[in-house]
Amino acid sequence: MTEVFNGQEEKDVFLRAYSSMILSRMFDKKIVTAQRQGRVGFYTPTIGQEATQVGVSMALNPDDLVYEYYRDVPFMIHRGVPVEVLLDQIMGNSEDSAKGRQMPSHYNAKDHNFMSVQSPVATNLPLAVGAAYAIKHRKENRVVVTTFGDGSTSTPDFHAAMNLASVYDLPVIFLCENNQWAISLPVEKQTKVEIWKKAEAYGAYGVKVDGNDFLETFKVAKDAVDRARSGKGPVLIEAISYRIGPHSTSDDPSKYRAEGITEGSEQDPIVIAEKRLKDLGYITDEIIDRMKSEAKRIVDQKFDEREKIPPPKPETMYDDVYKEMTWMVKEEKGEAL
Amino acid sequence: MVQAINSTLDYALSKNNDVVLLGEDIGRDGGVFRVTEGLQAKYGSDRVIDTPLVELGIVGMSIGMALNGMKPIPEIQFQDFIFTAFDQLVNQAAKLRYRSGGQFNVPMILRTPYGGGIKGGLYHSQSGEAYFAHTAGLTVISPSNPYDAKGLFMSALEYEDPIIFLEPKKLYRSVKMDVPDEEYKVPIGKASIVREGNDLTIVTYGSMVPVVSAAIEKNKVDAEIIDLRTIMPYDGSTILQSVKKTGRVMIVHEAPRTLGMGAEISAFLAERAIDYLMGPILRVTGPDTPFPYRLEDYYLPNERKIMKAVGKLKEFR
Ligand SMILES: Cc1ncc(C[n+]2csc(CCOP(=O)(O)OP(=O)(O)O)c2C)c(N)n1
Ligand SMILES: [Mg+2]
Repeated sequence: MTEVFNGQEEKDVFLRAYSSMILSRMFDKKIVTAQRQGRVGFYTPTIGQEATQVGVSMALNPDDLVYEYYRDVPFMIHRGVPVEVLLDQIMGNSEDSAKGRQMPSHYNAKDHNFMSVQSPVATNLPLAVGAAYAIKHRKENRVVVTTFGDGSTSTPDFHAAMNLASVYDLPVIFLCENNQWAISLPVEKQTKVEIWKKAEAYGAYGVKVDGNDFLETFKVAKDAVDRARSGKGPVLIEAISYRIGPHSTSDDPSKYRAEGITEGSEQDPIVIAEKRLKDLGYITDEIIDRMKSEAKRIVDQKFDEREKIPPPKPETMYDDVYKEMTWMVKEEKGEAL
Repeated sequence: MVQAINSTLDYALSKNNDVVLLGEDIGRDGGVFRVTEGLQAKYGSDRVIDTPLVELGIVGMSIGMALNGMKPIPEIQFQDFIFTAFDQLVNQAAKLRYRSGGQFNVPMILRTPYGGGIKGGLYHSQSGEAYFAHTAGLTVISPSNPYDAKGLFMSALEYEDPIIFLEPKKLYRSVKMDVPDEEYKVPIGKASIVREGNDLTIVTYGSMVPVVSAAIEKNKVDAEIIDLRTIMPYDGSTILQSVKKTGRVMIVHEAPRTLGMGAEISAFLAERAIDYLMGPILRVTGPDTPFPYRLEDYYLPNERKIMKAVGKLKEFR
């Protein structure tokens, strides 16, 4: 099908991709429900963006870097980030590698070559350019993928990063996850031109893809990664999907939009994946059901398990501001405890 | 407080056709904190403008409008996201009057929610008032209750220089009070004495006003509480008068301690009131760290920390 893999290898790779999408979906549903039950403070759902992220992830090597944003759970799961790591972050417990300091959806998975997630959108993009410069400087064979939404293309950071990456011919894949909404603003009101077309103005290569279809996305991503890796400079991928859920658990989309793609409909990326895999003869309804209940079981079990972990100790709040704690912070810590 | 600001914005839009609101998600959605709810439906999308996601553009464009006869009221969704617009604020808005010898001025009111208390972590909790207050040319306001929010905003509508109107998001829905329907103003640059007292003076503002008041009432301390209301230019004479009376003073704010407003007020008092002071000038503030998510309650000043400082001050007589 893709001419990238041979028969059995292809089947394994595709099934693993599907399995990541399912696990992400189950994870998403679990966290949204837990938030409503008051067991989680906040969350930005990823439902609808699974195929985009898994498709791109499939085209990467483990040592490629990802400078991701807050909606990239499927991306992280497919690159092997354990569900526990995501749960610990969301719960902000004492096992969280960032010590419960960030609000939910702001993950850290350094050992899987992900950057720490920030809230101010697109501020990760210039950093990805710097990372790519370092890679080029050291003559390494790696690429950097940086992800962001459609709304984020309006920022000065997007412009700066696209321009710099192009000027220095750097191996950066700019993955715009166009879910067609930036909170309440539809993409038509965000920009007058299609996002992928902006690449040309910077001297980069731009391409648009159906981000609901993981195989289409994979093919485009593979091509983009090959380009970047072979020194042909940055690529801007516009992957078009749809934000099926609310912007966040604090958001009520009924205030500003009619229902678009719904879960389980023909354009749901998971439904598309199932159709593709069935057409290839790689999967049956029975296997699908089994995979889904297994994913649900894993998520439920891990959630209950991680929920028992206590919060970080108050004194941890004062660490990591600088390498050496300043005398002011030392004093403040002493006063407080 | 949400309702008081909403009705004041409504009033401003109805009175003056040159007033426009602009920002992210303020129109159709009504704002992520619902402060601008219903205003786009009433005044149209040309006057309550949903902008693309670009703070630098929102602020820069507002300055251009203000220079040309309009009265823009931009919203930055969270103060934490203002920093790409910092250049526009510091180098354009703040300096236009000065650099043109008074020929240009920027009558803009920038509204933005700030501070902690909503479990927002590093990027939805910051208190950046000192950055703005340190910029000559910017006026910085922070109301602590719905009455002042309306009154200060009414004054801001007639003010001719750029204002950073910092709305303590913690208080958006947590404080309720009846606000008069009629027009009234609370003067810019004038603090209010929230509570009179003789033993010590507590200078505070924004979200910390109710926290300080509750601690003082509960523990029956004879403290004078001053709510700055305007952070820059702050009301030095009200502070000075109070401190001359009580001889003891502390400053309470959420923002990190070092080089915060507490530092400025301490220096001001050290210069002018040293002879009246019986003890050190104390600060109860957030620590000099970023704002944590899960440990938010440890970060913020609270009754325990305030009373500890009160106890310490009372030792000096
Ligand atoms: C610089 C900045 N401004 C505003 C916000 C508040 N905010 C959070 S997400 C968001 C919309 C982002 O839309 P998009 O880039 O399309 O990403 P999506 O959330 O749709 O995945 C906004 C305005 C922010 N995080 N950063
Ligand atoms: Mg979007």
